[in-house]
Amino acid sequence: MAKEITIALTGNPNSGKTTVFNNLTGGRQHVGNWPGVTVEKKEGTCRYQDYTINVVDLPGVYSLTAHSLDEVVARNFIVEGKPNLVVQIIDASNLERNLYLTIQLLELGANLVLALNMSDVAESRGHQIDIKQLSSLLGLPVVRMVASRNDGTKELLKEVVRAAEGQAEGRRFRVHYGAEVEEEIAKLEDLISKDEELRRKYSPRWLAIKLLEEDEDVIRAIKGHG
Amino acid sequence: MDREEILRAKDESLAHLRTIYGDDAETVLAERRYGFISGLLKETLSKPAVEKLTTSDKIDKILLHRWLGIPIFLALLYGVFQFTFTLSAPLMDWINAGFGWLGEQALAIGGWGGSLLGDGIIGGVGTVLAFIPPIFLLFMALAVLEDCGYLARAAFIMDRLMHRVGLHGRSFVPMMLGFGCNVPAVMATRTIENPKDRLTTILINPFMTCGGRLPIYILFAAAFFAAYQALVVFSFYAIGIVIAITMAFVFRKWLLRGPSGHFVMELPPYRLPTIKGTLIHTWERGRVFLIRAGTIIFAVVVLIWLLNYTGALEPIGRAFAPIFSPAGFGQWQAAVALTFGFLAKEVVIGSFGTLFGVEQEALGTTIGAQLGWTPLIAYAFMAFCLLYVPCIATIAMIKRETASWKWPLFAMGYTTVLAWIVATLIYQIGRLFAG
Repeated sequence: MAKEITIALTGNPNSGKTTVFNNLTGGRQHVGNWPGVTVEKKEGTCRYQDYTINVVDLPGVYSLTAHSLDEVVARNFIVEGKPNLVVQIIDASNLERNLYLTIQLLELGANLVLALNMSDVAESRGHQIDIKQLSSLLGLPVVRMVASRNDGTKELLKEVVRAAEGQAEGRRFRVHYGAEVEEEIAKLEDLISKDEELRRKYSPRWLAIKLLEEDEDVIRAIKGHG
Repeated sequence: MDREEILRAKDESLAHLRTIYGDDAETVLAERRYGFISGLLKETLSKPAVEKLTTSDKIDKILLHRWLGIPIFLALLYGVFQFTFTLSAPLMDWINAGFGWLGEQALAIGGWGGSLLGDGIIGGVGTVLAFIPPIFLLFMALAVLEDCGYLARAAFIMDRLMHRVGLHGRSFVPMMLGFGCNVPAVMATRTIENPKDRLTTILINPFMTCGGRLPIYILFAAAFFAAYQALVVFSFYAIGIVIAITMAFVFRKWLLRGPSGHFVMELPPYRLPTIKGTLIHTWERGRVFLIRAGTIIFAVVVLIWLLNYTGALEPIGRAFAPIFSPAGFGQWQAAVALTFGFLAKEVVIGSFGTLFGVEQEALGTTIGAQLGWTPLIAYAFMAFCLLYVPCIATIAMIKRETASWKWPLFAMGYTTVLAWIVATLIYQIGRLFAG
């Protein structure tokens, strides 16, 4: 019997996310709106081995703050829509800026796969990326990709299925924010973990970090259920 | 309550961290993340010491030049109009000849039916349809600028100027899109994160000349400023931008105070636009214009014809006309055109077409002769059309995007008052010089 998984595509604007989405889903896609807001929602399906993969295209974002509608939509889907996997499309020639989103996705507790798109552009500029090293330092699968030539789509699907089956080895990743900040994060994490509902719904560490950033949406969510 | 305790603990933590770092925790966290990334990259990425300049970088050196950037932008914009006019003139002649012939056939039928067909529908809708060539060519030129990556550069160039008025260069993208139509442009402000930046950008967007107002300029520029058509039309686009930026400054200073958002501007590499892509984008925007001509403009033109035929129109026009007298165009026909122009700006010329029952080519000179307009009055009239009340579709979109009636009503009021002041100033000051 066919197995079904849902993956969310995310990435910075201009990272080639739409091209990857088209490569994965071909003509099998439809466009709607995210519930309650007027942000476009694109969905499609794709078959690989005995899997039916539902692909949800999240809005292009640089980070996951509560500052813009697009970012809130992307974030809520990852937290509440519970996709099996999040695939971040990265502009390989702009690694530094793109990895900022990666960190936020990992903190959110997403099960993440990275696709280093436009690798040809990066290479033509003389950038050499040690993909194996990157993958092992971040503790997640990383795939080389040139979406404009449909290169790397198969490899991505292979990693997606592997990760969905829980075969991808990884360790809990975290940015160390320095002793003082970590101490405050730990305090808040502790309090949050005592709350059954919060613990079930969110990653306590992410919630603690967002509280320190005075994220309006998170503060509202905590107040709202009190 | 436990939740209260969490929030209290958060405030304590923040206060504690602020004393240690002297900065927001948010800033400290972001710095740490970038520190982590730069450490990560040291182990995984090797770049050549000196990056090779890409073709995009080389082009940007000129187009994004500190001093040349804005002049190049204005020159490109002017080039767009010159292109639009040169190519559309012969095409418009053919369409006019076609509608002229059709109108004569219709009037030959005689009676009210002939008048409805000839004066009303062909005179009104035909006049609007005659502007298909310039509108489509303008949209095509804008599509090329957008698809090749220049639109993002224009926003970047304007960034410094926009910062001075309290906005971000990002707000300039919806403004440029307003050249096509203000409705999708208002929708495009969603990418702006800061709510006050966004609201300001929405409120100034109607000053960007949309495709619906272009026919008004073309008509009067051809009739009153034959030698300087492109320049006159270009001047209204420029006035629109200047007033939009000025009003943004006013709003940010008094009405919507507060810091503006920070943002890294993304400059995608230049690409050669594909013919297919350009045509698709041109069609997407131009299609709306055709649909409007066949629906709302058709309906309004028939309504105007009916009111005129039954003699009810002139009193309506006369009621409003005195308001416009100080600006020089206090004739009832002009008042009718402006009043109904609220429904769609194309209706301004559509209703003139119906009222005078002549085809587009002769319409401008007919208005000049019958209403006694001088080039000065025509200019003041065009300025009024540029600035006054946004069309009903734009108002509806502002309502949707701001989720209240407050801002659309405010936009209707302030733009109309501003339009009246500017048009009156143009006419009164101009008269001093014209003697």
